[in-house]
Amino acid sequence: MAFFKIPNLVIILLTTVIFTIFAFTADRFLTLANIENILTGYSFLAIIAIGQSLTIMARGIDLSVGSTVALAAMVLFDATMIFELPGVFAILIALVAATAAGALNGLLIVYLRLQPFVATLATLAAYRGIVYAISGRQLYPELPTKAVTDPWIRWLGDFFDVERALGLGDFISLPWIPISFFILLIYAIAIGLLLGRTRWGLNLRTYGGSPEAAHLAGLKVNRLVISVYALCGFSAGLAGIILVGRFTTATEALGSGMELTAITAAVIGGTRLQGGIGGVTGPVLGAFLLGIILIGLTLLEISQFYQQILTGGILIAAIGYDRLIEKRKAV
Amino acid sequence: MSDTNITKSSRRALLKSTALGVGAITTGAFSATFSKTARAASADGEKMGVAFIQYVAHTVPAAWSKGIEEVLGSQPNIEYQLLDGQAKAEVQVSLMDTLINKGTRVIFLQPVDSVALAPSIARAKREGIAVITLNIDATEPHAAHIEMSHYYGAKDIAKVMGEKMGGKGKVAILNAPPGIIIRDQREQGFIDGLKEYHPDIEIVANQVADWSRKKAQDVFTTIMASNPDVTGVYGINDSMALGAVDVAKQKGTLDKMTIFGNDGEKDALASIEAGELTGTQYTDVYQQGRYAASVATVLVTGAVSARDFEKQGHLLMPYIIVTADNVSSITPEQRW
Repeated sequence: MAFFKIPNLVIILLTTVIFTIFAFTADRFLTLANIENILTGYSFLAIIAIGQSLTIMARGIDLSVGSTVALAAMVLFDATMIFELPGVFAILIALVAATAAGALNGLLIVYLRLQPFVATLATLAAYRGIVYAISGRQLYPELPTKAVTDPWIRWLGDFFDVERALGLGDFISLPWIPISFFILLIYAIAIGLLLGRTRWGLNLRTYGGSPEAAHLAGLKVNRLVISVYALCGFSAGLAGIILVGRFTTATEALGSGMELTAITAAVIGGTRLQGGIGGVTGPVLGAFLLGIILIGLTLLEISQFYQQILTGGILIAAIGYDRLIEKRKAV
Repeated sequence: MSDTNITKSSRRALLKSTALGVGAITTGAFSATFSKTARAASADGEKMGVAFIQYVAHTVPAAWSKGIEEVLGSQPNIEYQLLDGQAKAEVQVSLMDTLINKGTRVIFLQPVDSVALAPSIARAKREGIAVITLNIDATEPHAAHIEMSHYYGAKDIAKVMGEKMGGKGKVAILNAPPGIIIRDQREQGFIDGLKEYHPDIEIVANQVADWSRKKAQDVFTTIMASNPDVTGVYGINDSMALGAVDVAKQKGTLDKMTIFGNDGEKDALASIEAGELTGTQYTDVYQQGRYAASVATVLVTGAVSARDFEKQGHLLMPYIIVTADNVSSITPEQRW
């Protein structure tokens, strides 16, 4: 099971070290509530990061994920609030919309031969435009201040009380696990299997390692690339519906700037920007490492402006580290 | 949500090592921290936290924060912290979670979205934390809401603006993004005001300019292109009104325009004195911050729990409609 293996030990070590430092320095860091906050606040990001890492593995990038998050959220909002569809259908439609948005990115890249950076930069703007255009909150004056009440959707933002479910409440205290974390687990396992156990996963690695070789080997490269971006869109869609569950509404600006955080998480998770190498555990750990750092710094009352600088710094450090390893290997 | 069923305080008293995957490696080393966690549950003489989560860095929250600090700074047992919501609901929600975990006693909140922050406010209430919203109300009832009297202020703006326009003409509204109650209040106040005092004035455009001067410049340029006969502009805040002033100045149509903002920030007052912006609704925002802080000092003692509030407190700040005629009455120390 190569794709559940630790991508590199450094990230595990780094996460442990940073977690330990905060545990000792930041008041209220090592509490159940904080563990819950980290899980709730970053599970959805980990899901986006998994999708993002797939596009990076295919030597691409998806800058439109933030807008796709909003698109899925707004489609879900409209479906349940305007058309009053049952939650399950509304969720399905939202996921289909996000997957289609991702697939369109792939189509643009494959058939118009656009650079992934350019294609998804264009759709970043376009999808955000669609969100504003279809926003039920702009079209119907009574909707902006109404909350989504559908139980299916609300469930996505809910928590699972592990200790009560296991009947262990009298013995130990466990954090309440957000449903989004379970969705992340299931999704990570599914993508891990897809990468490690299927022809598709092998093809993706081959293509990422050398697109020319993949072409010569007769792989259906176009189909592969489109499917990768579709899956990335689906990931963003999952995140979008989770956020609607949590916020009980969809905001037009939802997810703006999230592409940077997702790329950062994927890269610190050991996804190589040159393609070919990556997995699911890396991006997931990367997302939670970011969460630990940002929440830890907030608890230490360090200004958020420094936190943003730090996020950029971490990205540079992760890429720099990756390059350094490359260079050593080359020598 | 199911987490209402159990009171959280009991299960939060102590963190057991089993809760942590990572902790398994270094269980022994964490024992020092456990005692710290337990202490936080109840401590005497400990500083009580009060925090303000702003929408985004802007003149209004900066002035509130200054007013808040003035009052809270004199109280040695209170620790005050300003946090930035970066205009993102997900950031504000995450900050709310962190503050709730920290055991912050009172949270001032200027929500990015009135609905999206409601679950967080409900959570804070369950933990006994008082939430005071500033200017932007939330759909979840909470301890108190202190605002610039949005509806009545906007209605008065419509009245004065209509008089300046001679009771006729076409106006454009530069609006806030949807999903926040302040937008509905100011918009509705303005519409009702025109209907009541100046029924001949027509609203021909109503567009979102995201509170921003820069965005308002773009939006208003587009509005002018499709409605060149617009002579009145109402910006839901001063920044957007000043954006319209920029455009009118550039096009050389400023002397034909009647432009009103809302809030009364320093730049807007200066613009009125320069004969550019026609007027605005002025509120002493420092004072609003001081009021909010006074409410907080009562709540922070914990003698009144946030859970005890059956009805949300509501405070409307006094205001004046400022034009060139009365702008000099606002003293330098009242300008923010």
